[in-house]
Amino acid sequence: MPRVVARAVFSAVVSAERTLGDPLRGPGAPPGARIVVRMATFSEDLRSRSDDELVALLRRRPDLASPSPSTLSSLAARATSRASLERALGSVDAVVLQAVEAVVALHDDATPVTADRVAQAVGARSDADRELVDMALARAVSLLLVRLDEEPATGTATGRGLLAAPGLAELLGPYPAGLPPAGTVSGGPAPTGRNGAVTPTVPAPLLLGDVLADAPPGARQVLDALMWGPPVGLLPAVRTPARDAVQWLLTHGLLFPGDTRHVLLARDVALALRSGRTHAELRRPPAAPSDVRHPLELVAGESVMAAQRIVRLVASLVRTWEIEPAPVLRTGGLGVRELRKLAAQLETEEADTAFVVELAGAAGLVADDREEIPSFAPTLAVDDWLTAELSVRWALLARMWLTTNRTAWMVGARDDRGTVRAALNPELTRPWAPRLRASVLGVLADAAPGTALTVAQVSEQLAWRTPRALPPTAAVAATLREAGLLGVVAAGALSPAGRALLPDLRPLDEVAATARSGDGRRARSAAPSSAGARAQPDADDVAAALRDGLADAVDEILLQGDLTGVVPGRPSPELEALIERAARVESRGGALTVRFTPESVRAALDAGTTADELLAGLAAHSRGSVPQPLDYLVRDAARRHGRLRAGAASSYVRAEDPALLAGLVEDPRLAAFGLVRLAPTVLAAQVSTRELLAALRERGLAPVAEGPDGHIVHAERVIRRVTRRPRRGLVTPPDDASHSAAARAARVAALVPELRRAELAQQADLQAQLADREAHRVAARSRADDAASAATAARAAGRGTAADDALGSSAAELDQHASVGGRPRAVDAGPRGGVGHRPLARCTTPATPATSATSGGTADPVAALGLLREAVEDRTDVWLELVDAHGVPQRRRVRPLRLEAGRLRALDPARDSELTVAVHRIASVARVEPDPLDPTEETHD
Amino acid sequence: MTDGPLIVQSDKTLLLEVDHDQAAACRRAIAPFAELERAPEHVHTYRLTPLGLWNARAAGHDAELVVSVLLEYSRYPVPHALLIDIAETMSRYGRLQLVQDPVHGLVLHALDKAVLMEVMRSKRSAGLLGARIDDTDVIVHPSERGHLKQVLLKLGWPAEDLAGYVNGEAHAISLDTAGISNPGKDGAPRPWHLRPYQNQAIDGFWHGGSGVIVLPCGAGKTLVGAGAMARSQTTTLILVTNTVSARQWRDELLKRTSLTDDEIGEYSGARKEVRPVTIATYQVMTTKRKGVYTHLELLDARDWGLVIYDEVHLLPAPIFRMTADLQARRRLGLTATLVREDGREDEVFSLIGPKRFDAPWKDIEAQGYIAPADCVEVRLTMPERDRMIYATAEPEDRYRLAATAPGKNHVVEQLVAKHEGEPTLVIGQYIDQLEELAAHLGADLITGSTTVPERQRLYDAFRTGEITKLVVSKVANFSIDLPEASVAIQVSGSFGSRQEEAQRLGRLLRPKGDGRPAHFYAVVARDTVDQDFAAHRQRFLAEQGYAYTIVDAEDLVTD
Repeated sequence: MPRVVARAVFSAVVSAERTLGDPLRGPGAPPGARIVVRMATFSEDLRSRSDDELVALLRRRPDLASPSPSTLSSLAARATSRASLERALGSVDAVVLQAVEAVVALHDDATPVTADRVAQAVGARSDADRELVDMALARAVSLLLVRLDEEPATGTATGRGLLAAPGLAELLGPYPAGLPPAGTVSGGPAPTGRNGAVTPTVPAPLLLGDVLADAPPGARQVLDALMWGPPVGLLPAVRTPARDAVQWLLTHGLLFPGDTRHVLLARDVALALRSGRTHAELRRPPAAPSDVRHPLELVAGESVMAAQRIVRLVASLVRTWEIEPAPVLRTGGLGVRELRKLAAQLETEEADTAFVVELAGAAGLVADDREEIPSFAPTLAVDDWLTAELSVRWALLARMWLTTNRTAWMVGARDDRGTVRAALNPELTRPWAPRLRASVLGVLADAAPGTALTVAQVSEQLAWRTPRALPPTAAVAATLREAGLLGVVAAGALSPAGRALLPDLRPLDEVAATARSGDGRRARSAAPSSAGARAQPDADDVAAALRDGLADAVDEILLQGDLTGVVPGRPSPELEALIERAARVESRGGALTVRFTPESVRAALDAGTTADELLAGLAAHSRGSVPQPLDYLVRDAARRHGRLRAGAASSYVRAEDPALLAGLVEDPRLAAFGLVRLAPTVLAAQVSTRELLAALRERGLAPVAEGPDGHIVHAERVIRRVTRRPRRGLVTPPDDASHSAAARAARVAALVPELRRAELAQQADLQAQLADREAHRVAARSRADDAASAATAARAAGRGTAADDALGSSAAELDQHASVGGRPRAVDAGPRGGVGHRPLARCTTPATPATSATSGGTADPVAALGLLREAVEDRTDVWLELVDAHGVPQRRRVRPLRLEAGRLRALDPARDSELTVAVHRIASVARVEPDPLDPTEETHD
Repeated sequence: MTDGPLIVQSDKTLLLEVDHDQAAACRRAIAPFAELERAPEHVHTYRLTPLGLWNARAAGHDAELVVSVLLEYSRYPVPHALLIDIAETMSRYGRLQLVQDPVHGLVLHALDKAVLMEVMRSKRSAGLLGARIDDTDVIVHPSERGHLKQVLLKLGWPAEDLAGYVNGEAHAISLDTAGISNPGKDGAPRPWHLRPYQNQAIDGFWHGGSGVIVLPCGAGKTLVGAGAMARSQTTTLILVTNTVSARQWRDELLKRTSLTDDEIGEYSGARKEVRPVTIATYQVMTTKRKGVYTHLELLDARDWGLVIYDEVHLLPAPIFRMTADLQARRRLGLTATLVREDGREDEVFSLIGPKRFDAPWKDIEAQGYIAPADCVEVRLTMPERDRMIYATAEPEDRYRLAATAPGKNHVVEQLVAKHEGEPTLVIGQYIDQLEELAAHLGADLITGSTTVPERQRLYDAFRTGEITKLVVSKVANFSIDLPEASVAIQVSGSFGSRQEEAQRLGRLLRPKGDGRPAHFYAVVARDTVDQDFAAHRQRFLAEQGYAYTIVDAEDLVTD
């Protein structure tokens, strides 16, 4: 540790200040030359600073400058704000914190707080300790946590008083350093003792022992327990020896009653007990651990290995997503299933995969494409990155990792609401992440090169460096893990390449403060705002540091008779490309072992390589010739490759007699039809069958269409139909004799079947609609002309059903008919008609009993609501056809519970869950009828 | 970064570049702790396994030595995690010891109380351990010594077995290196001596106490067995695969050792003799009557000092269980191909003992002790009609259809004609196919239904050169010593069995009098499962460095 600080008590502070840019004096002003005027307030103090001093301050506390304060007063206000002070305090080490605590704690006393007193209070024993405290005070002053009183402290020849920044006391709590507040002086309102004697007041430190001499047992223990704070104790239960002791202490004024249940130690007693100190022990910097030292080559080697791996993984991620982008979850981020799939593809653990994904995201290599259906895909930046040299690629990743505020280790954990945190989820950003990395790496950087540190050791160092802002061990562990995956840390030690990154970490003032480079304060926060001001190392420095550790690329593969190959080192880019194309990697590490399989060779052929090219490529890289089995494998794969051909055609022409097809392909009039001769007897065409038939007929040929089974399909004219409800008026003819009772009775009698018929018609209508809808769906998939006929067929089928049903005499009979006779009709209507008839056709299959008794359905909203109300009343089940949030219709059997305010609350017995549906989402409602084969249960009321 | 011959991969494989100057030294250095996995022409692959590392510990090598060997020969920096893993794995060995206590008998002694606690808490050790004597010692039921060792291995705390072996009943056996029992035709004794690698193998075994010796077919495993017996000087039980093999053992022992006919008993289906040296078949040992192994008493019939398991890769499951009870006796396993399609190699190692000696086939070949072999896969394109039948066949019938493709007969005929006069074996799986071939070639046929005397007669005729062609089924896969056979044509096999392929090649590897190379042909139907299985079958041999040349059947004529 370089010592530039003078020994003298106060001048230590001053000279330290001068080295760092004295915040109190203008440059060049000799000590003590200024006219001493007491600066009453903090803001005046601030205002009186020179520009350079202010600049220095803003560098040390970057949060003060962002956003830019408008006036010095507002700067002062900000500097004393809780947040800013907390931040400044969070960045200081344990000694500074102790010093600041001591200043605050001692401030309450009448005598001014001098550096001497602080040193004594925090327990500095040796000169080295004293120096440590002086530097700590200098640091506190430079951060404006503490300022110097302009007036020399009276009565002491040793220096000026120290004042804590306003607001600091608040921050340190009611009992800074565990010391009771001023004003709690012993012997306050001293009650009279039992024997009439008045208890002595203000026991001098030396007298404390005398006072305690006749204290009851336990009193000393009470004092000891409260001595180092917190000075508040819980009142023991009455009639216990402890209570007696406390009572005695209260009586003698050593303790004060706090509230009804607590007691407080008197400040002077506490100080007397502590021998005037504020801290039991000066927290000296912990010794840098050096039990595990690795040779630098090992660290470099490990680092390079990890770097190669991470670059390869990110590249594979990019390669995977450039072909098949991964969908973005609606809540943002990458789904667990996608991550798992990716992990399988990359052959890594899920946690590592999450890191790879996050790293690629942070480096801007993949991003949400913001399409209508969003997915993660590689960005334009990828192309440059992929072609760059390995070390340059790594440098970008490492740099981005260092500065990103993404927290990849949180992926897979659950948040407060219990949902799993997804990779690339926008919520996974934490502003403190870069600071955490900086401080962790800072600890490693300060250890001797090659020193491996465990998580516990790093945490221990951090506990001293930033006691107010101690990162959780899990976060430290995760940071070390990520650094290890990147190769910034290797075998537990900072790698040379990682060290090259370090200037990124150091805030400017600390870079300048080279004098203190060894004191471990480098690991200060590096707020993003100061990124621009930081000394940016040349990107090539980092890349070069990695390159130093890289072994030379090997351009040779040892091919062996068992169809394996070994690249004894890091493959050159061309060789790597060749291997990636044509072989399967079996193991990685110092060397690369690969196996050639029929599948891997086929993949190369699929990608457009020919067998000769592949063999030539292998021969060029191979140390001897290509082994015969491998040669045979490649040639055999090539022989088999492409023996099957697939292509697209819209229709075809075939004939038994090739002569009939002769000339068709060459006919210019048919050129637009894209005819291709697949075989002497088969032509493929790129137009629909109908157009093809028409064209061929026009040419004077006599083709017929055939179905998939080879049967001739007579292409009939497309006939269109629309579905309409039968008119009710037609069903009941006007009756002249409507007045007579008999006629009335007859009319009533006639009305019932009419109603029933109407209902049935309605139901049929519904089914027709269903059929229609189904047909449309089919149509959407198949070609337009096919679909048109399908819809017509379906509609016709639907109508047929309606007519059939309307003729049925009784509902029971009809139900039976519908369920038992459904099949023949469905068959009659042909395959497409069958689709349209799905609800009925299914009736016959016992595997779907749920639909077997469907009847009495309605799509009319008013009727549907009625039906639902009824069902609520009767507590019966209904079939609901609803449209879900994606617009997909679903059919569920539910028991409606409540219908109000446009919402239906219902119970789904099958899923044993309750659902609430907006009424407008209900497409239709149908009663679930009892078994139609058991007419006794039939109820239609 | 040195220029060593070894590359250490992070997946715990070691790649040894064979052509490197230091390759031989490196091979010797890593052999004690790394398992040879593949030995093709340029780069041999070794693997670090916990078992291998523990065996190294048992043989007295420590983690420091292993690490320093790796660092010394490695070309690139050795992954740090791997070194830590090695040290950690090796430190697990020997925390528990099996010792013979003068008072309590067999005792499991722990150097680490926590480990003992962990083991005792484990469900797997239930019933194997007896009463606890103190903090660090637990009584072990002597009969469970093998089981316990196996369980401890699985728990990752292998025990160091310091309990030793029973000496067994002494019986004088010596090698007849003077060759008196095996005189030449002129009646003069023919002196001989064990080959260096045989001696190494015997030393390795004897030093370790029990274990498996892996030597290529034809490299003289029987002599290693005889050597071990001579070293042991005790009564010996030899377990072999079948009766013919039992007779061969007997003949060989009579020729090569001081044992006489009266001292060697055969315990098989036909004869039940128990003599100082008894040769039993696996089959008779595993015969069950009314749910009971009727011949178990053989194991206790004498106080055997040594148990030899021939063709240990074929060890049937019941023998595994019986072996577990024989842990106090010295055990020697012999095999050429320790690959089991059931993946139970580990059990072989834990019950019989670790691998004590292993030599790449090509090394032995280079030393001239086994014949060089030329492996050829002949690919046959099936005619259109057969391909149609094949394409439409049920999946379960496909292999049989492809393996017995009629076109193969013609190919075999061509191959036999090419090697006319050389002793030729035609080996296959399906009896109808073999019968057809035998008729086609006018050769004799040996299958499972051929009687033992008839088999002996045919083998003898083949050995003497009386007949040069023999069609055999899988009965000839193992342990049949046909020294003069120099051509084998395999027409079908049991699916993808790697060891079967190796064993079949092994029939040819006895060095020939005139030093001519052996020829091994596998006739395979192209583009069928036959081809896929063939690829799998060849893997063991390919990894041993036997590169198959692939030729098309159509090119055979011009060849």
